[in-house]
Amino acid sequence: MLQTSALMAHTTDLNLIIRHVLAGLGHGIHAGRERGAGVEFSEYRAYAPGDEWRRVDWKLLARADRYYVREAERDSHVAIWLWLDATASMAEPSREIKGVDKLWFARSMLACLAAIAQRQGDAFGLVVCTGGRVEFTPASRGPRQLQRVLAQLSRTKADGVLPSAEVLKSNLHFARSPSLIFAASDFLDWPSPLSEALLRLRHLQHDVRILALRTQAEVDASFKTGAAYCDPEQADGLHRLTAADRAAYRQQLSTHFEALATQCRQHDIVRHEACIEQPLGAVLRGWLQLAGARARC
Amino acid sequence: MLSTQVLWWLALPILLVPIWLHRQKRQRLKAEPLATARFLPASAPEQLRVWEWSDRLLLLARCLLLVALIAWLAVTVFPWRGDTVLLDAGVEKTWADEQIRSAGYTAAAREPMPVDVLPWLHSHEHEWRGDARLLIVGAADKIAMPARPPQFAHAVALRVKAPVVAGVVQKSEHHIVLATTPDRAQAWHALFNAFGVAGGGNERYVLTDTPDSKTELIVWDMRDAAAPANWRAPLWWAAPNALPELAAAPSLNVNGLTLKYADSARGRLWASSAWPAQDADGARAIYETWQLLAHGAPAYPAPSRTLDIGRSAMPGALPAAWLAWLLLALFLLERILTHARRH
Repeated sequence: MLQTSALMAHTTDLNLIIRHVLAGLGHGIHAGRERGAGVEFSEYRAYAPGDEWRRVDWKLLARADRYYVREAERDSHVAIWLWLDATASMAEPSREIKGVDKLWFARSMLACLAAIAQRQGDAFGLVVCTGGRVEFTPASRGPRQLQRVLAQLSRTKADGVLPSAEVLKSNLHFARSPSLIFAASDFLDWPSPLSEALLRLRHLQHDVRILALRTQAEVDASFKTGAAYCDPEQADGLHRLTAADRAAYRQQLSTHFEALATQCRQHDIVRHEACIEQPLGAVLRGWLQLAGARARC
Repeated sequence: MLSTQVLWWLALPILLVPIWLHRQKRQRLKAEPLATARFLPASAPEQLRVWEWSDRLLLLARCLLLVALIAWLAVTVFPWRGDTVLLDAGVEKTWADEQIRSAGYTAAAREPMPVDVLPWLHSHEHEWRGDARLLIVGAADKIAMPARPPQFAHAVALRVKAPVVAGVVQKSEHHIVLATTPDRAQAWHALFNAFGVAGGGNERYVLTDTPDSKTELIVWDMRDAAAPANWRAPLWWAAPNALPELAAAPSLNVNGLTLKYADSARGRLWASSAWPAQDADGARAIYETWQLLAHGAPAYPAPSRTLDIGRSAMPGALPAAWLAWLLLALFLLERILTHARRH
């Protein structure tokens, strides 16, 4: 089965990753808010594995000898915003699986969400925080928007620091209509301009769901000792790790994420933690199920 | 040859410079980026310094180059002396000044004259520049006449103050112990009288029976009796086979005189059948042999003269050529390695 992160890490084609992940997940993992009648035909699309059989146009198959799927344009009031943190710290690679880093994982995750949103007919947009600025892709519907978003995701490189609070605030103009916000980051800076913006959006009654990415080595503090480490975003000199420092490191890290969890709970933000060594599909399912659980209650 | 050149070896600590520089480069330890580094304790960069060297081959080439350079400097002499007067400190000042003025060396540097000046100058001549002239001013007893005229690459003038001729020749006494049989005593007395005449009346030979501290010579002409064991003298004259030490002694023929000689605890022993001399020629032969072998040759002072330029090359002036080639090869190697490291 190709469903492992290690194998998928070698492809840069987000489409391929989306097909594998979504094919493994099955259907109905995330319910669109708008469903039922009033569905209006929009366009045909080539069949892709994972598409529902009932949406295949059999008459067109008989004529063209190819599978086509009927794309329907449905009205949805919900816009989905995919929020990617692409600062330098997101370049942190997995120490166990070669080729996997936090940015790759977050990018693949958001690409899968974009594909799901596109299939459901939701409008979706992309916000990328990288190099001290915000790259903004306006929300829209349809397969072309998916390609636009995927291209934007593929272009993204982990670089620089988060944009300042003012820059972020000036980019929050999309927050007029009710929307669903999926933010993937390592959340090592909390509070930060990003956290302030997410809390602000939450106070504006948006549904904010965050994915905090970590590596297995960070969780276990299993970095090799004796080497010098430097922070990619802060020039505060060198750091070391000795065997005696591991307990303190774990303690500090768990304190940080507990504070993050507490604040998320206080502001009713859905938070999912994942290690980038985990399978993409399982993490995606877990993240979406958390949101679904809240939506039901 | 001791000179200031060996001080160049004190520059050897310069080798620490490339060693230090090559170590410095390794200090900039690469730090791995780690997103969660902020949760780790900070560490001072000093702790990461290690005693390791980068580019060891280049370091070796540079150290060897420096050593070769220092060695080359240490064996290379740069001639620095100009016109010089080597002046004997014991010589009379007014006479010396007059000599220097007349030779035209008034502007020349004056230096004390070393002992054994001519051999010394022969080996140190490379310190003088090519156009320099030298004047040696000294007393006669300080400058010995060499067997052959010395060959110098510079013009060297020699001004020697002749010894003051004493008005009265010093008279000397020679104490001699004579032990002989009565029938030969007459001949021995006649022999030493003849020696006194040969010395021009300035030397007197005192004959005694027992030796003391001033005794120069013991004549043991007793064939049957053994010499007393406690007699000591620098020189013994004995009849053949009179002393046991002379039994297996080597023999020597000087001035027609056959001598057996040996060194013993008593002193130097000579044995011959030629004494006491029977005629004037025999006595002269004995006298000349004694003066030649026992007293040595008198010192003969060098006369004042100007020595012409006799040689063109000076030993010790140029270092060995292979050292210069080695220096060049090491320099090229260092440049090549530096270039290779940059690219």
